[in-house]
Amino acid sequence: MRTSSDPADSIAIEARGLGKKYRLQGRGRRHDTVRDILASAFTAALKGGRGPNRPAESFWALKDVSFQIRHGENVGVLGLNGAGKSTLLKVLSRVTAPTTGQARIHGRLGSLLEVGTGFHGELTGRENIFLYGAILGMKKSETERKFEEIVAFAELDEFINMPVKRYSSGMYVRLAFAVAAHLEPDILLLDEVLSVGDLPFQRKCMEFARNLQKRRATIILVSHNMFSIKSMCDRVIYLRGGRVQFDGATEKGVELYEADCRLSAVPWASHEAADWPIAITDVTVMDETHAPRAIFDHGERMRVRVDYTTTRSVDAPNFVISIVRSDGVACCCYSTELDGIVVTPSSGRGVIELLTPPLALISEHYRIEILVREKGFQKLICAQGGGSFHVRHPMLDTHFGVFHEPGAWELEDGRRPATLRTIAMGAGS
Amino acid sequence: MTAATLPKPDHLSIDIRPGRALGKLELGELWRYRELLYFLILRELKIRYRQAAIGAAWALIQPIMTVAIFSVVFGHFAKMPSGGVPYPIFAFTAVLPWMYFAEAVRRGSTGLVGDSDLIRKIYFPRLLVPLAMVAAPLIDFAAGFVVLLAILAFYQVQITIYILLLPLFLLVALGLSLSVALWLGPLSVRFRDVMHALPFVIQVWMYASPIAYPMAIVPERWRLLYSLNPMVGVIEGFRWVLLRDGHPDFRAIAISCVIISACLVGGLVYFKKMERSFADVI
Repeated sequence: MRTSSDPADSIAIEARGLGKKYRLQGRGRRHDTVRDILASAFTAALKGGRGPNRPAESFWALKDVSFQIRHGENVGVLGLNGAGKSTLLKVLSRVTAPTTGQARIHGRLGSLLEVGTGFHGELTGRENIFLYGAILGMKKSETERKFEEIVAFAELDEFINMPVKRYSSGMYVRLAFAVAAHLEPDILLLDEVLSVGDLPFQRKCMEFARNLQKRRATIILVSHNMFSIKSMCDRVIYLRGGRVQFDGATEKGVELYEADCRLSAVPWASHEAADWPIAITDVTVMDETHAPRAIFDHGERMRVRVDYTTTRSVDAPNFVISIVRSDGVACCCYSTELDGIVVTPSSGRGVIELLTPPLALISEHYRIEILVREKGFQKLICAQGGGSFHVRHPMLDTHFGVFHEPGAWELEDGRRPATLRTIAMGAGS
Repeated sequence: MTAATLPKPDHLSIDIRPGRALGKLELGELWRYRELLYFLILRELKIRYRQAAIGAAWALIQPIMTVAIFSVVFGHFAKMPSGGVPYPIFAFTAVLPWMYFAEAVRRGSTGLVGDSDLIRKIYFPRLLVPLAMVAAPLIDFAAGFVVLLAILAFYQVQITIYILLLPLFLLVALGLSLSVALWLGPLSVRFRDVMHALPFVIQVWMYASPIAYPMAIVPERWRLLYSLNPMVGVIEGFRWVLLRDGHPDFRAIAISCVIISACLVGGLVYFKKMERSFADVI
């Protein structure tokens, strides 16, 4: 059915009361067999019930989600893990049907939910371009026309006749993104894909996204990278527990998200959390004057105050405060033990505060992770994510590395060069 | 739709709704993705014998070896009657459509699970998977058919105008394997048991079809029941067309067609009903 000239003329996506229910039973049990079903029916019969006597447990991954997105809008979808972001994109891209509600999409839809899933390892890059293009809905003639461009975009000229099973993961991703990029969709659904590949390729992808924006395409971006959300989206839909918690300006949505993220678990350490003697109760990011702050200029100093409680005594715990960039790069850390400080926690509550040297980090978004280890970087006894902040600088970004410090220069005859006030020094002014 | 809002006039809007028990078949959607069918078939053909030392020769070796074994065991040892034609020809005319059918059913029924990554992540008309899987073994069939023609020439069997009817019977075999795939495919998405049971089912089915033996040895009173197996009609058809072996059993052929049509329509409806949950349960 064609879109008639309805009042939703420039609406790209309209969702009304979308809901998606998953049954918990069988979830994660991928290889259900008839035997399982027979077995459970049998036990149910023995217990005297008719059929399974307890109703299948279910949960709503999405609940009552409504929104309108206009053509040309770029919307970020935010939420903690399990908030329903990916389910929403799956419903919108028609991979799975909603349980309730409905949505209408006007225009050609392209989705990149996981790069390269359509590839077949035995086929060459060339063959995969055509196959993947067709999976994404491209006509053969269209793929043929854009073939050279795709290969050039992926930077794979000499490997294009090689089976992709021999590709490096970077090459794989580049090829997949290149095909999807040339679909020229009116609406593009992106799930965390901009964070793959190396830096130059990421930049290329951002550039590509901006070109799409110029063509008034609509981009729906799911990302944990606040940096790409902020630079691409002027609107954010924040999901919590499958519901739309907030729908509006990016700044506000990101704030909400970051508030929820604060004091979140450190993913890699959470499985060890069983019996930690120390628990972090609060983390506060402040400036030198103890005023809470979230944005720092390059070169400013930062205070991080950590409130904790101890449940049993620990001998000289080593507090480590590490700073992790939004793209997951661990930038630096401060450790009481490395700095020669011996912490003697009094039983019960304690406070420890760090004053950083002038921040040399480039302009980006960072989060703080607090780790406590036993003396001598031994066993981990606490891990906690806490707080986040921005560093601001007009020029220094990821292209300049992780941090920037001025160097001392000399010319060949030993003269000191004439100096001028550098742009890097004058950050805050 | 006004030209100002949507860049290209042929763009359709998509409606996303909860699953309905008897949804539309969305054949238009299938048509729009017809090129994907082509590429999926191409993929099947390309990967089938890649990284195999003798590659596509397998397509010829399999039927030839099967016929050779049958000829020794059933033709030579068991002295199975073969309706007046040399046993190897008798067997080959049945082994060829049978191998196509068995392969099409096997791949058609397990193809969805094989493409589970794709199904979990990307939308495309799911029907294309069984369609492609059922179509791809036709190439093997074609290769085997050339061998059959050579064997016919060797035994100096005349080929007649009847051979033009052969595609018809092949089509019936394709329809049958598709209808089986439409039922077993969604079932195997939910229950992997299908994949384990399938080889056994196919083997039983083979002995229930007149491949190694002529239909004539089936007692008359069991014939009708026997003809409920749609492959009986297909194989009888092949023999009739190629060997003009007696008169065709039109009753068996008609029964085949009726059963296949019913299974095909039912399979389509079942498949469309089940496909909405593929991504969730696969």
